[in-house]
Amino acid sequence: MKYTIVFFFIGAITFAQTDTIHLLDEVKLYGNFSPQINSGYQIQILGDSVLNTRQQSLGNLLQNQANLYFKQNGNGMVSSISLRGSGASHTGVYWNGIAINSSLNGQTDFNTFSANGYNQIEIRKGGGGILFGSGAVGGAINLRDQIIFKDKFQTQINFGLASYHTQKGLVSSQYSNQKMFAKIVLEGNQSDNDYPYLNTSLYNDNGAFKNYHIKGVFGYKMNENNQFQLFATLSDTDRNLSRTLTAPNNSKLTNAQNRVLINWKNFGQAYNSSLKIAYLNEEYNFYFDKESSDASFGRSTNFILKYDFKYFIKSSLSLHSGIENNYSTAKGTNIKEKERNNIEAYALIHHQPIEQLHYNLSLRKGFSSVYKIPLIYAADIKYHLSSKFNIKANFSTNYRLPTYNDLFWRPGGNPDLLAEKSRSGELGISYQHKKIELKVTSYITKSENLIQWRPETPSYWRPINVQDVDSYGLEFEMRLQQNFGKHAFEIQSNYAYTVATDKALEKQLIYVPYHKANASLNYNYKNFVVNFTELYNGEVFTTTSNTQTVNAYLLSNLEIYKSFLKQKLTIGVMVNNLWNTAYQSVAYRPMPNRNFEFNINYKF
Amino acid sequence: MKPFKLLTLLFLTAVLTYSCSEDDSPTLPLGDYEKGYFITNEGPFQNGTGTLTFVDETGSVTQNIFKSVNNKDLGSIVQSMSVHNDFAYIVVNNSHKIEVANRYTMKNIATIEGDDINNPRYFVAVGTTGYISNWGKSDDATDDYVAVVDLDTYTVTSKIPVGEGPEEILVDGNKIYVNLQGGYGQNNKVEIIDVSSNTVVSTLEVGDVPNSIVKSSNNIIWVLCGGKPSFTGAETKGQLAKIENNEVSLFEFGATDHPNHLTIDSGQLYYNLNGKVYSMSTTATELPTTEVAELDGFYYSMKANYGKLYMTDAGNFQSEGSLKIYDLNDNSLKTTIETGIIPGSVVFQ
Repeated sequence: MKYTIVFFFIGAITFAQTDTIHLLDEVKLYGNFSPQINSGYQIQILGDSVLNTRQQSLGNLLQNQANLYFKQNGNGMVSSISLRGSGASHTGVYWNGIAINSSLNGQTDFNTFSANGYNQIEIRKGGGGILFGSGAVGGAINLRDQIIFKDKFQTQINFGLASYHTQKGLVSSQYSNQKMFAKIVLEGNQSDNDYPYLNTSLYNDNGAFKNYHIKGVFGYKMNENNQFQLFATLSDTDRNLSRTLTAPNNSKLTNAQNRVLINWKNFGQAYNSSLKIAYLNEEYNFYFDKESSDASFGRSTNFILKYDFKYFIKSSLSLHSGIENNYSTAKGTNIKEKERNNIEAYALIHHQPIEQLHYNLSLRKGFSSVYKIPLIYAADIKYHLSSKFNIKANFSTNYRLPTYNDLFWRPGGNPDLLAEKSRSGELGISYQHKKIELKVTSYITKSENLIQWRPETPSYWRPINVQDVDSYGLEFEMRLQQNFGKHAFEIQSNYAYTVATDKALEKQLIYVPYHKANASLNYNYKNFVVNFTELYNGEVFTTTSNTQTVNAYLLSNLEIYKSFLKQKLTIGVMVNNLWNTAYQSVAYRPMPNRNFEFNINYKF
Repeated sequence: MKPFKLLTLLFLTAVLTYSCSEDDSPTLPLGDYEKGYFITNEGPFQNGTGTLTFVDETGSVTQNIFKSVNNKDLGSIVQSMSVHNDFAYIVVNNSHKIEVANRYTMKNIATIEGDDINNPRYFVAVGTTGYISNWGKSDDATDDYVAVVDLDTYTVTSKIPVGEGPEEILVDGNKIYVNLQGGYGQNNKVEIIDVSSNTVVSTLEVGDVPNSIVKSSNNIIWVLCGGKPSFTGAETKGQLAKIENNEVSLFEFGATDHPNHLTIDSGQLYYNLNGKVYSMSTTATELPTTEVAELDGFYYSMKANYGKLYMTDAGNFQSEGSLKIYDLNDNSLKTTIETGIIPGSVVFQ
């Protein structure tokens, strides 16, 4: 009897420990995007295999792989996201956990980001203000570099040639051992991008672009309990801005983004902590005439100090908290030198009272030198109905703070703006059995005091807290795998139905499609891969009265890869817009016709 | 019965013959857009097309008439339109062109475009010569000009250099008056061009930002100057310039008043200021102090015509605007008409 009790205790402790370690690993891996503390949310992770087979912009990747909707001013041009019917500044974008949406306009231009060289891209749909702060209303996207201390020395060279005189080159080299990690990625792209505007005599005569991205990731494992990490990226994008169907354009936009992040991770028996110091710098220059040296500009810098602490009371109960100080400055042609300081803190309790049930309770509060930051709170839950069925639900309140442009733009900037607020609820069910995965998610979001620039005076526009938006929607995801001998098939499909209503007008928001879907078929045989994707983008309204539209379109893309030399060498051929469909993402701004790409990837 | 039938036949023949001989009568319509007025709609600011709306004499409204006749978009930012002889000249700012159409049928006849049309604003015609104010490049304050166009060949025959930001043009006999509003900046002059020599014969200093110009029947030219807005950091008051025999006298508004949209009908001037509409006699010696009741609003354009005031409202600039028509006898709202996106002007035949 005695022995039995001792055995039981040892067993329980051992079990608890492995569980804690397992949990720690998971938290180490994902930070605030960890599935554990996001129990009631849908998290989609795009991994290595999707990210590093070919070179593409982040916008293209997410549109093809994640069924997200982007509004693009032509190929390679300014591209903004609308997630779950929210605005371009309502999706938080993070780089290794640090918010990198522009401080100037709150948005992210997804064509200034490369999707290459990251290990993972994490997509979390739904309100995430507590863990991610301002702007994570429709969702959050994290670009992640992984540091793994194991013996590896690998270099990857990728070269692509594509239609419209497009060249892409990437060299990535990683060296790591049990104590050290170093990775450097160099990437450059350029394109004449002079595609014809189908069914017209026009072509994209001012669409050329080039960009480069340099990245360094370094890690040092001091001991089992301490790790030091350094991340740095430099990127430069130089684009001529495309003409529309009715107006020529001779302008140019350049964007530069530089970021450095130092992270010290400290793990204990029952806690883990991370101290981050980050420096972010962004600058744009807009040349109305690309031949002229006259440009209007905007520039901002952020200094971020962020401390996250996680304490594991027991395997089923943990406390997560953090505090972040963000000091920023901005300056530009239309902004006098301005600064602000925000300090924000959050706390989250994760609890698993019974094996089938996980839930989180959380809240966040901040203070700013410029405006009032509201208190927000959230709860989410995940329940395993059976081994096959899961239910997820969450409720959250979120905010978005006014940007530098909103507050200080001359003329019009309104320093009296309030934070935008929203409340959001979500319920989803998922089914997973053998090689079938199905998910259905429904959500509803109510947003208030959204900032809109309005012609309040005859001579200039002014941003005011005026718009209320109700949105709701349904999302379906399906994944099927089937093998016939050495022939492997995978089918994936997503569909999103989105209604986002301006409450005053009682109309659907402009550039929010009711319907968006994609489907892909992946076939794999030995060293041979065929990937066929279909992308459907429903009609969008271009007037707030919903009287004018951009037509729906259906696009097909085909990719074929063949590997040689024990997978070291991969050669790929891609055809985009297979059926030569004339389509537009934004009205009067045609997208490319059928185009081709040849890609070669060598790893050693 | 037979004679009756024959008579009927004779009568019918007579009627038909008579009708036939009247085929070229001026009572037959010249086109669908002969009687009524036009509204120019700028269209969306960045990507899209402007349109033309037509309102016929019965008040019935047709949208997008240029596109429906010609199956072609007018272009980006329809800035203004002017009617001369049988033709309509539609100035499309951001597409850098002027579309010429038959004013009665809207059938597109020619397009005036090329390197010599750069940021065109307004068009006037004197005889067979057209004059188009052009801002030129946005970052060059010294390349602004008035393009001289041969209306038989639709080609630019010369460019008359003017100061920064030429805007509205007024024809007065063999002279044209060009408001130098300032374009992307602010200016304060009116240039007078002699159309026989196509040269600037004099430059008059008026108030800051001359935004509209009209002529009254007593041979006075009135230029409304908005003044520099506050965001320039050097705010100046609005002024109304009265030009009589090349002499400028100025009526002064309050320090932060920025009036706009000067228009004239039957010896009365009308303008928009601080969300109100004011009226002033062309013989008055002082600015009015009280507004015209019932007409409040920030309008996007105003035009007085035969006892009615036509005022456009661009709404939120992202959907259809509207035109409000008031009867100036009792200031009552006669009707409201839906327009295209950002209705910039009302043009009478």
